[in-house]
Amino acid sequence: MTDAAAAPTAASLRKDRGDDRPFSRVLIANRGEIAVRIARACRDLGMEVVAVYSEADAGAPHVRAADRAVLLGPAPAAESYLRIDVIVEAALATGAEAIHPGYGFLAERAAFARAVEEAGLVFVGPTSEAIAALGDKLAARRLAVAAGVPVVPGTLEPAPVDRPDQVEAILAEADAIGFPLLVKAAAGGGGRGMRRVERRDELPSALAAAAAEARSAFGDGAVYLEREVRPARHIEVQLIGDSQGTIVALGERDCSIQRRHQKLVEESPAPGLAPDERRRLHALAVSAAAAARLTNAATAEFLLDPDGEFRFLEVNTRLQVEHGVTELVADVDLVAEQFRIAAGRPLSPRIVEAASRAADPERHAIEVRLSAEDPARGFAATPGRIGTWTMPSGPGVRVDSGVEAGSRVPPDYDPLVAKILVVAEDRPAAIARLRRALDETQVSGIQTTLPFLAHVAASPAFEPGSLSTDWVTEHWDGEAARAAAFGRAAQAAAAAIARAAAEAADSGPRPPLTSPASSWAAAGRDDATDRWPR
Amino acid sequence: MTTRDTTPGSLRVTATPASALPGDEPVVVDPSTEPATELNLTRGVVVGRVDRTAAGTGTVEVVVDGWRFELRVEPERRARLRERATRDRASGHVAGPLEVRAIIPGRVVSVAVATGDRVDAGQELLVVEAMKMQNELRSPRAGVVERVAVTASQTIELGDLLVVLAAAEAAG
Repeated sequence: MTDAAAAPTAASLRKDRGDDRPFSRVLIANRGEIAVRIARACRDLGMEVVAVYSEADAGAPHVRAADRAVLLGPAPAAESYLRIDVIVEAALATGAEAIHPGYGFLAERAAFARAVEEAGLVFVGPTSEAIAALGDKLAARRLAVAAGVPVVPGTLEPAPVDRPDQVEAILAEADAIGFPLLVKAAAGGGGRGMRRVERRDELPSALAAAAAEARSAFGDGAVYLEREVRPARHIEVQLIGDSQGTIVALGERDCSIQRRHQKLVEESPAPGLAPDERRRLHALAVSAAAAARLTNAATAEFLLDPDGEFRFLEVNTRLQVEHGVTELVADVDLVAEQFRIAAGRPLSPRIVEAASRAADPERHAIEVRLSAEDPARGFAATPGRIGTWTMPSGPGVRVDSGVEAGSRVPPDYDPLVAKILVVAEDRPAAIARLRRALDETQVSGIQTTLPFLAHVAASPAFEPGSLSTDWVTEHWDGEAARAAAFGRAAQAAAAAIARAAAEAADSGPRPPLTSPASSWAAAGRDDATDRWPR
Repeated sequence: MTTRDTTPGSLRVTATPASALPGDEPVVVDPSTEPATELNLTRGVVVGRVDRTAAGTGTVEVVVDGWRFELRVEPERRARLRERATRDRASGHVAGPLEVRAIIPGRVVSVAVATGDRVDAGQELLVVEAMKMQNELRSPRAGVVERVAVTASQTIELGDLLVVLAAAEAAG
């Protein structure tokens, strides 16, 4: 920790002037909806915003939300949003005092946090040491065990790969865990570097395959074994801590509806838990965080196994996509608090008070992720240009989005285009509100996951007992749902053509096809330039 | 011969290749029985881009309950003619008498051939005015004109017989 006689910081100088903003200028090292969300917190606090963008994002809403913007490079993330040197340089050049990494990209890259710290800037998140310590899932498991937090049964050391002399030893460990089991990457996430092993004789090749994938995806081929908990509910705890060592839990979220390890729906509180169970879960999460000396915002993930036990999985040392769900239930601004903490302040009284009520919340919130994917074609990505963009609003509705009507959704990044959140006094009211909000939502130009989300919201299977990480596979037939809409679409199309004929008759001759005024020719040009491989 | 068993004005709607899924079947809509001119803009229906290329024809983007379709609309009669022509070509019936029929309604401006004329493939047969543009109708193959069924300034409907080419002679 810094000693009392250190030189005045920019923050302390400002305070002397009566300016109590955490920072005067912040660079947001991200794009899309989260960059817009962070910019809003900055503006609420009176701080200036520096945005960064790739060539694919010129003119994007997150750029226009900023006071200044710096071009990073061409569209591919590796040439733009992952360029540590260019981003740090942009912050120094624009006089930004702090950098917020958002989620994804460099948010959990310890090297980035270190580069920011070494440049004399403030990284808005945990320390690079905490990120490094918890980014190694195996190290995090060992930390949890040492802190007395139950983990998913499995190994605590990297498994030997391609070591015939150690095969018997690892097979013995696997027998103790029981089959089917999972091989997971220590440096991993999002399901990569993971393999499911049903039989003993499959283990050595699964280890090799997972290790190779992990090495290529994360640069680290260390893998370990974990029992497969199935069906499982995926429940995570929002943590926040200041630099003085105070850590609190602000509530938990249930993220059990997933597809291929990508979350689709999140809600808070986790349905079906009693207040003392919540309290126990929150305490476990805080223990794990304290053992890791965590500061700023992070999330501890657990599995609720069929026996009702909470099993620690990992800690994510970043603000998560679904953080808004907790903000709505607890009525706090997590991003604003992140900035205060990063500026060295203790946790706000409001945050501490919200944490004290977190085990017995009086509201229920649900978030669904709207993505540019086709739920009738296996959720294949659907980049393209958005036409109509009508998002819901009104009581208890919040939308976080990074696109608008006419925006191009590039193929180079995550297909998330908006988060639609609702909050209400209890779960049934929240579900009804979610249905209403999704009814109001209209998007044209690209296919989105809207029909799938509407199905989830309307489904009687969306109940606490049915929630599990297998839910999507069990409850969705995209092709059938789409076929059911075809008839009405055909009627609307026929009517649209008839109406266009009536309007044309009223308005006289159309311009010749070769004229620049011909909208038909213009649409054909758009089509030719906007068409993606499908 | 035309089978006029579909009501005039029926529209066939199919998904464009870019947006179709295997198993999509065309839908025939009869605007006279559906609320045709009243676009059903209730909750859940969004009409995006409409590209109307001719009377009763065009592509439309429609989103229903979040499902996005790019749909091609054309008169049902023309769709059937197109289907039959494709079938006939595929089954090799090109040697019989060939009926040349109107694929757009309009007005005959001029007729360039008469019974008994020998024509080459691509030679102009007549000119039809439709949608304030002139369209030359060209012979689909070389042959002899067996019959001309229309005269200048006659109004024609979709599917009307225009010219009959005699059965092709043996190679030569």
